[in-house]
Amino acid sequence: MKDAATSQNLRGPAILVIDDEERIRNGCQKVLAQEGFEVETAESGEIGLKMIAEKYYDIILLDLMMPSLSGFDVLSRVKTLHPDAVIIVISGYATVEFSIEAMKKGAFDFIPKPFMPDQLRLLVTKAIEYTRALKDIANEKSRMRVLINNLTDGVLAVDTQKRVVLANPAFLKMLRHEGEEAVGLSVEELCGGSRIEALVESALSMPEDQFEEYGEELVRGDAAGVPEAVLSARCVPFRDRAGRNVGAITVLHDITVQKKMEQIKSDFVSMVSHEVRSPLNSVLAQLHVITDGLAGEVTPKQMEILGRASEKIKSLLSLSTELLDLARIESGLMALEKERVNPAEIVEDQTAFHEAAAREKQITIRLAPLPELPTVVVNRRNLEEVLSNLIVNAIKYTPEGGQVDVCASTDEKYLKISVRDNGIGISPEDQERVFAPFYRIKNEKTRYTIGTGLGLAIVKSLVEVHGGFIRLQSEAEKGSTFSAYFPLSE
Amino acid sequence: MSDRPLILVVDDDPDLVESVSMKLESNDFRVAKAYDGIEAWDRIREEKPNLVLLDVMMPRKDGYELCREIKDDSAFKDIVVVLLTAVAENVKSSKYTHQDGKSTSADDYIAKPIDLDKLMAVVRENLEL
Repeated sequence: MKDAATSQNLRGPAILVIDDEERIRNGCQKVLAQEGFEVETAESGEIGLKMIAEKYYDIILLDLMMPSLSGFDVLSRVKTLHPDAVIIVISGYATVEFSIEAMKKGAFDFIPKPFMPDQLRLLVTKAIEYTRALKDIANEKSRMRVLINNLTDGVLAVDTQKRVVLANPAFLKMLRHEGEEAVGLSVEELCGGSRIEALVESALSMPEDQFEEYGEELVRGDAAGVPEAVLSARCVPFRDRAGRNVGAITVLHDITVQKKMEQIKSDFVSMVSHEVRSPLNSVLAQLHVITDGLAGEVTPKQMEILGRASEKIKSLLSLSTELLDLARIESGLMALEKERVNPAEIVEDQTAFHEAAAREKQITIRLAPLPELPTVVVNRRNLEEVLSNLIVNAIKYTPEGGQVDVCASTDEKYLKISVRDNGIGISPEDQERVFAPFYRIKNEKTRYTIGTGLGLAIVKSLVEVHGGFIRLQSEAEKGSTFSAYFPLSE
Repeated sequence: MSDRPLILVVDDDPDLVESVSMKLESNDFRVAKAYDGIEAWDRIREEKPNLVLLDVMMPRKDGYELCREIKDDSAFKDIVVVLLTAVAENVKSSKYTHQDGKSTSADDYIAKPIDLDKLMAVVRENLEL
């Protein structure tokens, strides 16, 4: 079977000549066989039809004037059997009208008798090109149909009258359209009640010199109107060769699962926020009440144990805070309420705020005289957090007696805020990794430093959601400089 | 006796309410307790406290809403409201950003986890004691 199919594909076009005149049959066969075509002949309409019923011929040369069955009858029967077959009518002297009639009935062309071999060759070659083009179109059509029908995204094509010319099964399923054929319906009839009609309308009325995609999220409710699916709809016009809008394509993508995941993530974040942090906060207060002696006398040993317990709870709390911050930033849940702020004020505030902690370690924290700084549009709290985290880190990783310098400057594009320390520094291999969540540099110098390994990851995320970036310069034993760049304009 | 200031402690966690109350009582304050926003309103009407320590995240009625209602009510607007908010520690929050950008009419706020000694200082300061 496979071999037969292959040879069927590889063979040249099969031609059948139906004519009652032996001279014509033989002449045609001879000329066309020379061209390498496979040519068969039939001396009457009846025999010809019998052969056509058994085998597919690409091209049929058909005499219109035959004694018993006329060429017209053969023509109409062939058109029913093989609509794609190309029929060339051979006609005698006085039958030009007949030939034209035959072409109206679906013949491809006609050739008057008597004809020269070249005329025949030319016409058959033309017919072959035509059949090839037809096949290509048919293949292309079939390929497109299979492709579109198997997409999991819904596809809808409409004409300028907003009538459906194509709606794939996924589209119909997404809109819960059952039964009735969709092609020919208006968009309103097919997608009634959804926003698709409006999208199609905007796409169809798009000026020709413009190309835009209209998108919207649609929520589909079930029978009772309860939302059960979220669909992302995108709509674009399609144009003819002259650039005129001839219709619009709408693509639907089911984003229900994605939306649910976002919701779950958001719920999770607030659940953790409340359900985990609240009890920890409360335990901390309880420990405080006990160590205050409000619940009876406490021995020094008990004091010490409760003190350590409090520290553990505190670090758990800051871990959960940082985890939540990171989750919020990364999921995009953190609504960035931006405002125009004066960076100098924030830099001064944060530096002053951390002075006490620095003093405890005999670290000097200095703010370099600030140049004239333009205002920036940022989320104020985020900017505060970035700076605060950098200062806390600098204090943490600088030995007693060290120094931390904060400075701020601008160039044409960015506000740059730097925190420099003369602490333990970061080795080149660690420099690449310090911004990764949970990464902490472990060596004998950092062993007693407490931290979650999330601070710099948060700083990096916060700076990046503002369209900025962070830079690190560091040398082991000498110190580190972290610089956060915030874009000046939106 | 009754000249000692009355503090209403509102939080949906009874353990936290207890701890805070013990601390307040040991500092010579009188204490009333409520465990959600609706109950808090009842206590406010009945006892007219001098100061309300108000948790933000609570079932039924949250702290922001309750705070707004207190401040909108001419009979109670003079009650000092101190919000207990959960903001990241070690960030110096400016007044106008302390609850994720929501502006409220609260008089002050304390970030959770609550340092009970700091809490006492904030309470005294706001009562001008």
